[in-house]
Amino acid sequence: MSYDDTKALREFAEAQRINYPLLSDQDSVVIKQYGILNTLVSKDDAFIYGIPYPGVFVCDESGRVVSKFFHDSYKKRESPETLIDAALGHIQIEDDLPQTSGGESGIAITAAIRGGDGSLRQGIIRQLIVRFRLKDGLHLYGAPVPSGLTATKVTILGPNGLHTLPTRYPPTTPLHHKTLGIDLHVWSNEVDIVVPFYPAEDLATEAEVPLQPFASIDFEVCYQACNEDACLLPQTQRFSIELPLDVVDVPGLSIHRGHGQRESDYDSTPAMRRLIWRKIRSNPLRLLKLAWKTSRLKRHAKKHQDKKKTLVE
Amino acid sequence: MERDNLGFDAPAPIGHPVRASMPEGAYSGPAIGEHLPDFELPDAFGSTIRFHTDRGNSRAALVFYRSAVW
Repeated sequence: MSYDDTKALREFAEAQRINYPLLSDQDSVVIKQYGILNTLVSKDDAFIYGIPYPGVFVCDESGRVVSKFFHDSYKKRESPETLIDAALGHIQIEDDLPQTSGGESGIAITAAIRGGDGSLRQGIIRQLIVRFRLKDGLHLYGAPVPSGLTATKVTILGPNGLHTLPTRYPPTTPLHHKTLGIDLHVWSNEVDIVVPFYPAEDLATEAEVPLQPFASIDFEVCYQACNEDACLLPQTQRFSIELPLDVVDVPGLSIHRGHGQRESDYDSTPAMRRLIWRKIRSNPLRLLKLAWKTSRLKRHAKKHQDKKKTLVE
Repeated sequence: MERDNLGFDAPAPIGHPVRASMPEGAYSGPAIGEHLPDFELPDAFGSTIRFHTDRGNSRAALVFYRSAVW
C-alpha cells in the first residue's frame, strides 16, 4: 500500500511483473488510520508529504497481528520469505538455499541463508537460520545457564559492514535439574535459531557498483548437548557461506542515475510529474520551499566535506 | 552521496525529508494480538478491495511502503 495513483501502480506492476494487489492510498487516509503517517515530513515538503513509516503487518485468518516489522531506517526491509514464514508459523529451508552443515553424532546442524537468492543489497534483511536436529534424549540450553554449562549461541563474525538485528530464539521448555535443584531452559528435537542481518557501509552501497561479486558470511555456533545423565563437551564450530553482492533496483528517475543501482525497465518520470502536480495543486509555494531546503542541505553538506578535506590536508 | 549514522548512502543530503525515518519510541500501528482495521481502497487495476472481505480466511501480509514512483 502506498500513496501512488492507480495508473502508476499499474505501470509498476506490469514492468516488475507483480501479481499481488498493490493498493492506492492516494490521500494517505489508511496510512493515517493506521497511525503510521511519517510526521517528520511536513506539508511544506511538497510531494513527500503523506508517506508512511514503512513496515509490514502479518495477520492470521481472523485478521489479528501475529508479526510486525518496523525499523529505525526506511532502508531496512524484510525479504518476502520472512513474511511468508511469519504467516505460516514455521521456517522453510529449501534445498537450493545457500547453506552449509556441521554438528556431531546425534546433533545435525544445517545453516542456511533465507531471503531472496541470498544476495547482499544495502539494507535488505536476510536471515541466517541455524537449525539443530537432535536425537531423542538430547537437549541444548537456552540462556541463562549456571556456570559450567554452555548456552546455545550463534554469532556472525564478518564481513565488515554486515550488521545484525537481535537473534531470535524459540521458547524453551523447563527441565528440572534434581541435583542443582533449579529449572534449566532447554530445547529438544528440532530448534531454529535466527539471526537477521543486512549489509551497509562499503559492503553494499548505492554510491558504487560492488567491486567483488561475492562476500563470505563467517559465523560461529556454540552449544552443549546433554542427556538426562551426562553432558557432551561444549562445541564451538565455525562456518562460512558465500553470498553474491547485488545492486538495488530502482525506478528510472534521473536522481538515481550514476549510482551503483540497476536501472529497471520502469520509467517513473510521468508518474513523478503527476505526483508533484497532485501535491502542489493546493499550494504551489511548497515545491519552492522544498527546493530551497534541498539546496540549503546540499550546501551545508558540501561545506562540511570541504572542512573535512582541509583538516585532513 | 552522504552516509548516515547507520551506514546507509542515499542520493539526498542528510536532513532531507526523504531520509526521515521512524524515531525511537514512535507509535507503529496495531500491536501483535490486535485486529487490523478494515479499509477499502482501489488496486493497480482499478478494482476496489475491501481488506477483510477480500482476504476471506487467508492469512495476509500488509506492506506499507513509501512509493513505487521514487
